[in-house]
Amino acid sequence: MVALTVNGAPVDISAAPDKPLLWALREDLGLLGPKYGCGIAQCGACRVLVDGESTPSCAIALGEVAGAAVVTIEGLAAHDGTLSPVQQAWLDEQVPQCGFCQPGFLIAVTALLASNPDPTDAEIDEALTNICRCGTYPRIRRAIHRAAAQQARA
Amino acid sequence: MPRLLSRRAFLLTGAALGGTALVAAVGGVGYLASVDVDGLGGSLDGGDAVLNAFLTIRDDGRIVVQVPRAEMGQGIHTGLAMVVAEELDLPFDQRISVEFPVEPLPAYSIWAQFLRVRPEEASGPAVWLGRRVLGQLGFIGTGASYSTMALWHPMRVAGASARRMLMDAAAARLGVPVADLSTGDGFVRHAASERSLSYGELARGAALLPPPDDPVLKPASEWRLIGRPQSRVDLPAKIRGEPVFGMDVVLPGMLHAAIRHAPVFGAHVGAVANEAAVRAQPGVLDVAVINNRQVAVVADSWWRAEQAAWLLDIAWTRTAADDVDSPQMTDQLWAALGGAGGDPHEHIAEGDVASVLANGDVPTIEATYEVPFVAHACMEPLNATVIVRDDGSAEAWVPSQSPFGVRSGVEQGTGWAGVETSSITCHVTMSGGAFGRRGDADVTAEAAFLAARHRGRPVKLIWSREEDIARGLFRPHAAARLSAALGPDGLPLAYDALVASQSIFQAVAGRNLPFTPSPHGDALIAEGLDKHHYAIPNRRLRSRHVPSHVPLGVWRSNGFSFNTFFSESFVDECAAAAGRDPLDYRRALLRDQPRHLAVLNRVAEIAGWGGALPPGRGRGIAIEECYRSVIAQVAEVTVAPDGEIRVERVFCAIDAGLVINPDAVAAQMEGGIVFGTTTALMSAITIRSGAVVESNFHDFPMQRIVDAPDVVVSILESSLPPGGAGEPGIVPTAAAIGNAIFAATGRRLRALPFAVTETTGERRTRSVLPADAAGA
Repeated sequence: MVALTVNGAPVDISAAPDKPLLWALREDLGLLGPKYGCGIAQCGACRVLVDGESTPSCAIALGEVAGAAVVTIEGLAAHDGTLSPVQQAWLDEQVPQCGFCQPGFLIAVTALLASNPDPTDAEIDEALTNICRCGTYPRIRRAIHRAAAQQARA
Repeated sequence: MPRLLSRRAFLLTGAALGGTALVAAVGGVGYLASVDVDGLGGSLDGGDAVLNAFLTIRDDGRIVVQVPRAEMGQGIHTGLAMVVAEELDLPFDQRISVEFPVEPLPAYSIWAQFLRVRPEEASGPAVWLGRRVLGQLGFIGTGASYSTMALWHPMRVAGASARRMLMDAAAARLGVPVADLSTGDGFVRHAASERSLSYGELARGAALLPPPDDPVLKPASEWRLIGRPQSRVDLPAKIRGEPVFGMDVVLPGMLHAAIRHAPVFGAHVGAVANEAAVRAQPGVLDVAVINNRQVAVVADSWWRAEQAAWLLDIAWTRTAADDVDSPQMTDQLWAALGGAGGDPHEHIAEGDVASVLANGDVPTIEATYEVPFVAHACMEPLNATVIVRDDGSAEAWVPSQSPFGVRSGVEQGTGWAGVETSSITCHVTMSGGAFGRRGDADVTAEAAFLAARHRGRPVKLIWSREEDIARGLFRPHAAARLSAALGPDGLPLAYDALVASQSIFQAVAGRNLPFTPSPHGDALIAEGLDKHHYAIPNRRLRSRHVPSHVPLGVWRSNGFSFNTFFSESFVDECAAAAGRDPLDYRRALLRDQPRHLAVLNRVAEIAGWGGALPPGRGRGIAIEECYRSVIAQVAEVTVAPDGEIRVERVFCAIDAGLVINPDAVAAQMEGGIVFGTTTALMSAITIRSGAVVESNFHDFPMQRIVDAPDVVVSILESSLPPGGAGEPGIVPTAAAIGNAIFAATGRRLRALPFAVTETTGERRTRSVLPADAAGA
């Protein structure tokens, strides 16, 4: 049994401690937003926030996050359903194509803007290593700048 | 005009083909050609008012557009829903939702794509027969960039027909002539009495009225949606992380399966040496050999199934391909270009190419190009969920490009298990990318076999990324030799193209259709080489099928993905040999093609062709006509002194005919260019000892945001009907990049990928041109 907080709620997961966090989220908690894309921390589709840090959940064991606060894509919007500034920017820029990788991008960008509220293009390049096969990168870049501007106004 | 069968009756009787054929024998094809059996009639289905095959109004007033094409990121659900909303006079808002229809109605079939016609222009007995046969077979699929071309007109008609039925219902309710009514914002209004009725209120009455014989379509001058960017209907759910993909399907009592395919294609399972040990792993319920070809582990969790699958010790049978390596396959292609393998198939022979090329007085140029196998690498790994119940009914949920393929996959897989199905229901979920990979029945067949072994419980099969990259299907390894004789003005007097590749069509049809076509003369391996738009008096195009043991699939833009690289690089070589600017050279070749010329000039304009560039940077241009669209791109590429290559910017102009949702077309261009850049610089599937070497994103890498070029897209106004947009975006990219490398360095690169991917850190790579590149 591993105890942690997921999207603000305390949970106990009875899966084996060596199970990757990704599969514990998907199979044991039914949180299907984090995606399996590669299983080797290359693509980032599985990224979640672990104590605020963007983390590939396919490559971290459940036991390693005992006691941690995990936030998945499902936890980004407010309780009333209002999209987070990053999600809203994603919608405004019509970023996703297939959308499968986007939960990981949204998590990675949420973490980036938390530590660097107005990143330059070079800082975005440095911070974001996720893969999007559809090639939405030009819009992702625009959406990051839009979200940064929105957060600065708020 | 006979009343149309309701869609349910239509399905249940299953008599449409036989019935209409009988009437055709009596009444004659000419009469029946005008009879609409494609689903414009309405019916009531529980709380749903079904106005026709494409439109249902729910009892809560929600407008549901049935879009029988897979949403895999291209925005087709939005574009086709816009067309219906336009004719219904509805704003494009949250009242509208889109579903992929579960019932395979004839109206949804790919008859237009199959017959290569536009429905609005099609008539005659061949069309009549094709519609009925393909419709009755449930031949529904998403591909060839054809969805808008095939359905924009039928779905306009469906919208207009439904609008008229709603107005007729309102006229009856209000006791006024229909001519005094108007529509707007989801209401039918009677201005004189200031009364109005919502579509929701009218829907049930309207559904029982006869559809109009000839619904009046809104003139283009009154369009408020078509041609104006609209937000994608599927994005809010995707941005919230809602479970919309096949991989997210969760059903009560569901089992999970992982799978292993033979490393060498064609090998069989000899033995599973440690089956008992794998069965003893935690959570494991079953170790199953599928059709003697694959081994699956079924467990109570995919993670447990996959972990147990890692332990499998499988002895695969030896095959004739066990010693095959990529260099040897290259040699076979080059030998085919040199004449081995019998007479090539002649696709085009205009004028007398052979004697012009043999004329010693005319300068000639010849070049040979090559591309490797590449994988689709859709972000969502391949998966399928199937249940086979004790009564023989089966149901499948698959991120598929083809419910036809899902159905045949269930039949195939249950057949392997010796189980007969009584009915098959197919649910097409959202696809996390597809690119041609998800038209095949293979994954569904495997899941259906497992479901048949575990009757009454749904089985979700997920291929690991390693299986996805290394176990097929692939874009072919191909090569071409191009020759030209240049006239006094430097323009080609003769153009000769010979391509060597395994047949894509034979591979795909052989797996998915009940027949195996000839591999010779496959248009899919020749497309992109004909250059019919260029003014060249003598022209020849030939192909030679070179078989291999590697299974091919359709792959975004098929032959164009390599042949346009070959031919548009070669045109650049001709321009260089003639000492002419590549843009001016193409302008001269396109002097009789105003549509192409306009696209070429547009891309030159937005790219600032001819303007100064920083040192080490070059510009390259390429143009193609494909999927009834014309597309041109200019790439700006920097090659550093150490060989590091960066695609800085790509400019793109496209005439895609009438554009329904311009933002979706722009997105397809942006994404296609990134996809094409990955392919040009990074992508190769290598065969060693018969098996694929690459296995995941660390050795089959992708562009990341740091690598991705800036993209500028310009969409031309066009008076033509819609063309395709899903595939054209990637078509000119490799040639434009190769031509830019030549401009920057003087090195002509004739093989993909251009670069070697060096790993510089965790999830960090750079692309470097090899020092000894061919043609340097």
